[in-house]
Amino acid sequence: MDSKERLEILKEILLTEEREFDKDLVLKIEKLKSRQDNLSDRVTPILDERMDDFVENMPKALGPVITETLKTEIKKSQEAVAEALYPVMGKMIKKYVQAEIKKLNEDINKRLNKTFSFRNWFSGKDNNIDAAALMYEQYKARIEQIMIIEKGSGLLKANYAKRPTLDEDMLAGMLTAIKSFVEDAYNQGEMELERIDYELFTIHLQNFSNYYIAVVITGIYDDDYKDKLEDVLLDFAQFVVNKSDLENPETFTKKLKSYFTDERI
Amino acid sequence: MSVSKKVVLLGHFGVGKSSLLRRFVENTFSESYTVTIGVHIMKKEVHLEKESVTLVIWDVEGTDDFTKYRPSYLMGASSFIYVFDASRPVTYSDIKYNLEHLKEKFPHVSVHIIGNKVDLVDSEVILNDLKAQDIQHSYLSSAKTGENVELLFQNVAAQLLENA
Repeated sequence: MDSKERLEILKEILLTEEREFDKDLVLKIEKLKSRQDNLSDRVTPILDERMDDFVENMPKALGPVITETLKTEIKKSQEAVAEALYPVMGKMIKKYVQAEIKKLNEDINKRLNKTFSFRNWFSGKDNNIDAAALMYEQYKARIEQIMIIEKGSGLLKANYAKRPTLDEDMLAGMLTAIKSFVEDAYNQGEMELERIDYELFTIHLQNFSNYYIAVVITGIYDDDYKDKLEDVLLDFAQFVVNKSDLENPETFTKKLKSYFTDERI
Repeated sequence: MSVSKKVVLLGHFGVGKSSLLRRFVENTFSESYTVTIGVHIMKKEVHLEKESVTLVIWDVEGTDDFTKYRPSYLMGASSFIYVFDASRPVTYSDIKYNLEHLKEKFPHVSVHIIGNKVDLVDSEVILNDLKAQDIQHSYLSSAKTGENVELLFQNVAAQLLENA
């Protein structure tokens, strides 16, 4: 018997108990694993089924509770909700109404033109246009302010406003800055900014060589009105304005007021 | 109705152009720095002995290189106020280069050179430095304390009337 065999016999004698314990432990672990797998196979379908039931029934079970909670919270903070929604809705409604009125106005214009055409006039058709004419009068474009602004410097040379506005010198300067910025940004040679829309206001900009005229308008500013306004401003520039007016804002303002008091459009 | 003149404030970023303007127009000052984007316009009527002038002042955003200023913002100006920060030499070291550009593009517009934030420096030190660099400044001012601010704009207005 050599030393190796002796060592093996010694191991056998000393470690028999530990080896049996190890075997038992491995067996127990394997049993546990097998049980877990069995359990998992049985439990997973049940859990899935419960989960499906929950998803299906949740709206029925929790819906009324959530709705009630939301209602209560909204009732509690009605003012805050109204405050948050009002400006958004107000603007949407205003824009919608303005767009609709614009369509209506165009329609009225067409009808008016048709009604007053010589063909219809002499044909004796019913000219019942009172309501349409009233609507047209109600929403027609109106001049709120006219400013004559020196190009480059942006200095106000004449101003006529129906109502007091923000400081007109600063307004003229900022308009010029915006105009210059847009024109520089697109740098398309002789192209110039002609119009700025601000909610219910339109700022019509008409350019001349040394100055431009900014007309603030409320109401429906359509192509028809734009054409007329351009003609009136061209007439004003051609027949009323002279070179010295730009040097004398006081008399220029008087001229402007007297020319546009009745709007002339 | 007093005569209106366009005045433009120019200078590097953060030299105190907007603060000078607020001090002059509203007599207020804030330590917090607000960047001017594009342009901000304010006006004030300056009463002189015989006449009044309405200064419409364009406070344009700061830039290190004046060739990058949007020409349309400077057009039609009767006077430029070139503001530098007396506590930051970098804001006046290139003054000659920028002045040359202004003279070339706007030969008839007067330029007033103002060293602002003088409350942060020793006046004698800055005066020596400007002399050494041959910079002819009009005033040393402080938007914070109000030093020379009113005087500066009075002077600008008086010169505009003289030249009118």
